[in-house]
Order: sequence, then structure tokens, then C-alpha cells
Amino acid sequence: MTKVRVLMALAAIAAGLGLYLAISAPPEAVQRTYARILHIHAPSAWLAFLAFFVTAFGSIMWRIRRKEFWDRLAASSAEIGVLFTAIALATGMIWGKPVWGVFFDWGDARMATTAIMLLVYLGYLALRRATPDPQLRAARASVLGIVAVVQVPLVYFSVNLVRTLHQTQTIRPEGSPIHPAMLRALLVNLAAFTLIYLALLAGRMVVGRLEEKAETEVAPVAGAAVLPPRLDGAIDV
Amino acid sequence: MTTHAFEIARHDLMVERRAKETLTVVVPFGLAALIALPMAIGVDLPLISRIGPAAYWSTALLFGMQIAWRQSVADTGPNRDLITLLGVSPVSRFWGRTAASAVLLIAFMLLLGVAAILLFSPELPLTPWLLLIILTFGLGLAMISTLAADITSGLSGRAPLASVLVVPLALPLLVGAAQAVESLTRGSGILAWLLMLVAVEIVLAVAGTLAARPLEEAVR
Repeated sequence: MTKVRVLMALAAIAAGLGLYLAISAPPEAVQRTYARILHIHAPSAWLAFLAFFVTAFGSIMWRIRRKEFWDRLAASSAEIGVLFTAIALATGMIWGKPVWGVFFDWGDARMATTAIMLLVYLGYLALRRATPDPQLRAARASVLGIVAVVQVPLVYFSVNLVRTLHQTQTIRPEGSPIHPAMLRALLVNLAAFTLIYLALLAGRMVVGRLEEKAETEVAPVAGAAVLPPRLDGAIDV
Repeated sequence: MTTHAFEIARHDLMVERRAKETLTVVVPFGLAALIALPMAIGVDLPLISRIGPAAYWSTALLFGMQIAWRQSVADTGPNRDLITLLGVSPVSRFWGRTAASAVLLIAFMLLLGVAAILLFSPELPLTPWLLLIILTFGLGLAMISTLAADITSGLSGRAPLASVLVVPLALPLLVGAAQAVESLTRGSGILAWLLMLVAVEIVLAVAGTLAARPLEEAVR
């Protein structure tokens, strides 16, 4: 638990710094202050991708090693990935209304594919909930965890494949067109969100281990505390 | 392997011929859904005609996927064990199941298509391309549904759970098919949409083939 607490504390400090930098960075030339929400939106989306890759990695490792740890890692990461995907979609919609004029644009490839990805991973979590046996749950979920990750590159490259409303990647190998202060805020927020992800993942893994322990422990039955009468020293009449 | 897949498909279709589950449950329910939509809209005939293709594809997706997990071909434990002991590989089983579901799905979609044309009178050029789009969509949906049926095999609440898995995965197929028909109506090229459908199906075919063996072990 100490590791989780340390990660939580680091995440809180980094998030505070990220929030300060996001607020103090200069406003965007056209979108003005609306663009500040992208300091939450973009890191959430990146972390969702990372979380789903970790789910696929955990699923592959479970298929190789058959250790509960890897299944727990896959499940925990998927839960957090769903949370970050929902945050990315919600913040994108809040930003989209004043800038694009609509909350959700069905013609936008990135938004549509992200919504599909969210639904697929909700299905992954539903499948886990519906399978009571831990071994069968891990076996079925690992297949879906590996197959579902195919969507992640599709979502990422959708802006390059289909040019619609969504902008293409801002941070590129050849350099970034955004103001250095905005870039700094974005990178600090990305680091903060990564720490939040690690803290949540570590915490969820601990909870997952306790859940498994509770599942496998034999619960005491009613009347178990009633002992048979002691007959030592009893007089036989 | 091909012989095994063919035999499984033949067996599934034979069971369906006797049980008539698709014909007596899925087809009437699908037709009812198609009729319910214009009823809900009212007497706006141009609007009904315009949304006809959309109603058709949504109904085909939501009701068509039920075909793959029809009760009459649901595997029981001993049935699965027997197939395994007979030396049938899980890959053959997957493709046999997919082929049988695809045949039924395509027949269902053709029937639904005739009903949609009669009910909605859409402005649609009746060309062989339409048939090709239906065939491609039907095959893709059969693959996803068979995969979902295997993943959820033996679970309580299997049908709603499988639907949750199938619908998002089938959305690229839905978009591809609907846009291909839209392009046909407009008279523009449909090649890009057909290529997209084929690409999705290649991914599904690879995923289904690779996942067949691990899933076989997962449902024991």
C-alpha cells in the first residue's frame, strides 16, 4: 500500500503543477481559453491508448504464463482505460460545442472510432462480470483483450486516414507548431496523467488481489461456531 | 480441415431446417421491427422513403446477429467434447459455424430487403452491386457473431452480452455497407467502401482463425 500512497502523492503534485501550467499558459490564437481543456483531453486520450495496450500485453502474458497477476493487470488497466476514454470523449464534447458548434460530430472519424472503442471495452468489462469462474474469465477476456487492441492504432491514425474536423497530431517528430509554454503544459499534464494512471493501476491491482482472495476463501457456514459437547471426564451412567 | 468445416456447416443448416428457428423467430421479429418504424414516423412518405436504407441496415444488424447464437445450435459441453474427440479442429468449427450463419444471414437479409423495398419504396438502383454489398456484410456479421457466440458460450445472459460485443465491432461493416448503398444511389464510385468492407473482413477472418483454439479451451 505504501507504493500506492507514494504514487498517489506524486500524481497529486504533478496534477497540481500541470493545472497551474495549463491555466498560466497563453491562450490559443483562435480558440482563446477554450483550448485549455485540451490539457486534460489529449493526455486522457493518450493514457487510454496506453491502458488498452497494457490490457493486451497482460492478456498475452496470461496466455503464456497462466498467472493470475497478468489477468489482474489486464482487467485493472481496461477499467482505467475506459475511465480515460470517457474523460477524453466528455472533454472533447465540452470543447466541441463552442468551437465546432456541436457536442458530437458523427462525420468526425476520430470521435466515432473513439466512441466505438469505448463500447468495445465496456463489452470487455461486461464479459468479465458475466463469467464467475476466474480461470474461464481470464481465458475468455484474454482473447477479447488481444483482439480489441486492433482498434487503438485505428483510432490514433483515423485523423490521417480520413481528413475531417479533428486536427492531426500536434506533437510530431519534426517539431511542434504550438507555443513552447503550451507544449510545456501539455507535456507536464501528460506526465501527471501517467502518474495518475500508475497510481490507479497499482491501487486497482491491490483491490483485485483482495477480491480474488475473498472469492476463493471458504465462507463460514451458519452454526459453524457451535462445538460438539466435550465428553472428557463424563461419567457413564 | 475444409471437409470438417463443410460438414459442420451442413449439420448446422440441417438442424435449422428441422428447428426453423430463424424462419419462425428471427424473420418475423425483424419484419415487425421494419414495419414499426414507419408507424412511429407517421404519413411522411418522402421521409420514410429516405430513411428506408438506414432502417434496413439497422434491422439487418440487430436482428441478423441473433442468427449466430440461435438456441438450436448452441453447444453443450458433451457436444463440444464429442467434436473435439472426433479430431475436428477449433478453426474448422469456427469456419463451419460462420458459413452456416452466413448462409442464413444472407437469406434473411434478402428477405428483409424485399420487404424494405415494398414498405419504404427507396430510390435505389437495383444492380448486382447491391447483392455483393449484402453478401459482404452478411459474411462479416456472421464472423463477428460466431466469435461473440464462442466467447459468451455457456454464460447466463448470453444473448444481451453477445449483443454488447457484436454491435460496436460490427459498426465498421454497417458504415461501409450503408455508405456503399448511398454511393450507388448517388451514382458515385463504391469501390472505396467495398475495399473497406473487405479489409474489415480480412481482419475478422484472421482474428477468428487465431482466436478459435484459445476460445475452445476457454469455454470448457
